[in-house]
Amino acid sequence: MKRIIGNQLTSGKRTLFDRSLFLLKSPLKTITFFMLFGLILGYGSPAQSQDIAQTFKQNCSSCHWIGGGRLIGPDLKNVSQRKDRDWHVRFILDPKAMIDSGDPYAKKIFAEAKNVLMLKVPGMTAKLANDLLDFIEAESKLDSSQFAGKKVALGPFSAEDAAKGLELFTGRTKLENNAPGCINCHTVNSVGGSLGGRLGPDLTQVVARLQGRTAITSWLSAPPTATMKSQFQNKPLNEQEIKSLVAYFESSANNDRYNFDSSIIWIAVIFCGFGGSLFGLILFSGIWGKRFRAVRHPLVKLSKIRGES
Amino acid sequence: MSSPFSNLEQLLYGILPYVAMFVFFLVTIIRYRVHTFSYSSLSSQFLENQFHFWGVVPFHYGIIVILTGHLVAFLIPSQLLAWNGVPWRLYVLELSALIFAFLTLTGLVNLMVRRKKYSKILEVTTKTDWLLLFLLLLQVSAGIYVAITYRWGSSWFATSMSPYLWSLVKLNPDISYVIGMPWMVKLHIINAFVIIGFFPFTRLVHVLVVPNPYLWRKTQVVRWYRDRQISRSSV
Repeated sequence: MKRIIGNQLTSGKRTLFDRSLFLLKSPLKTITFFMLFGLILGYGSPAQSQDIAQTFKQNCSSCHWIGGGRLIGPDLKNVSQRKDRDWHVRFILDPKAMIDSGDPYAKKIFAEAKNVLMLKVPGMTAKLANDLLDFIEAESKLDSSQFAGKKVALGPFSAEDAAKGLELFTGRTKLENNAPGCINCHTVNSVGGSLGGRLGPDLTQVVARLQGRTAITSWLSAPPTATMKSQFQNKPLNEQEIKSLVAYFESSANNDRYNFDSSIIWIAVIFCGFGGSLFGLILFSGIWGKRFRAVRHPLVKLSKIRGES
Repeated sequence: MSSPFSNLEQLLYGILPYVAMFVFFLVTIIRYRVHTFSYSSLSSQFLENQFHFWGVVPFHYGIIVILTGHLVAFLIPSQLLAWNGVPWRLYVLELSALIFAFLTLTGLVNLMVRRKKYSKILEVTTKTDWLLLFLLLLQVSAGIYVAITYRWGSSWFATSMSPYLWSLVKLNPDISYVIGMPWMVKLHIINAFVIIGFFPFTRLVHVLVVPNPYLWRKTQVVRWYRDRQISRSSV
């Protein structure tokens, strides 16, 4: 016998999830289901085909030059002469694992990079690593590689450059190719540490962290991290924008005016969120809290009185 | 060059969304045709309606505002970024979203407690309900964690998540927008698609048949037409 409480059937708790298994009991429906599923699978991986130079540009060039000298990482000209091919492939596949394993040469180049860890490239394979090493070898034989690096002005930036950089950072001035402003994901002290985004790292000391103006310039010309690459590979920064941003980062690093623990402000904002939701609950209670008591309870009370009498 | 993404990444961000949407449309249609009258929230309001208030009201107002926010960022990301371009507007938007997110969480926890606390409610609670509540709790908690830890989610949703979702709509998924995200953001994304796929098997289908006329119809007073003593003795 079925029992009903309220408007719900309570006997035999067969859920619709159980019932849906009928899909698999019918051969025709099953075949249709898996054909459609196969179509979905077969739509193919997103087009990722690109030449090896482009791969080097997007994944390596922001930290390495070929014949231009040291950047964040070592110059890769004739890199194949420093260690054997197998070592290089293993290092490219997983730099951190090589360093953690205690490999002396891996530890040495890690120290020379001032402990900036080389990123593990998503989807890197032994074949791709070999292709990259072949490419580097071929570029090393040229008088001047296309990845020999750009010369960056070493003189002081003007205050105007830094001001333009601030406008670009905050998004008040749009980037030429419509890439998003830095503030969506990053913060620096001089915009108020609590006000910038926190998805990416704090950029207050980014110039020092990446070891100077040249390296940060190179980084910004082809950001290698997965999140930034997706944003900037089709919307690159132009040279003037990079210059302004680097000027702004340099000026921020030396600006002590806002050098305070901004996390307090953010914690206050979170408490405001708590407070706001509490206020919301009180508001709901005030508006609708008596919706039953105001109508139904007097009626129930009345019926009780009548029943007793 | 082969795909730079692992098979698992392609499965989770490139294929799961389509499987979820496929299941969503297929089963919602089949369910409506085969079990038409199961399109209900299976309200247990008649069984208990005091604690119920502190669950459904904050949960519904919270989740409606939060989902609307996600939809706006998906549909008009440029306009949202323009709004966020002025700091005080960004703060107002983010703080409002945080308030409604806390309301959603409060309501959801209350709904779970209510289902456990009252025996009548527990009696009409299926394993599917518990699984759904758990998935929603995970989703809302992850969302709040992301909003607090990786702030200005409204902005980077517009710059990163909106292009990803549009790439799905255009049947050319570009999962590079997701790959570099923190794992909690990824969890939020994956769980969202799991909920979409699970949706048609649950009482969430009531979302598709919201009785909008309730908003403008005249109020009704519902009264029991029964003898209380007989009713009690028959249970």
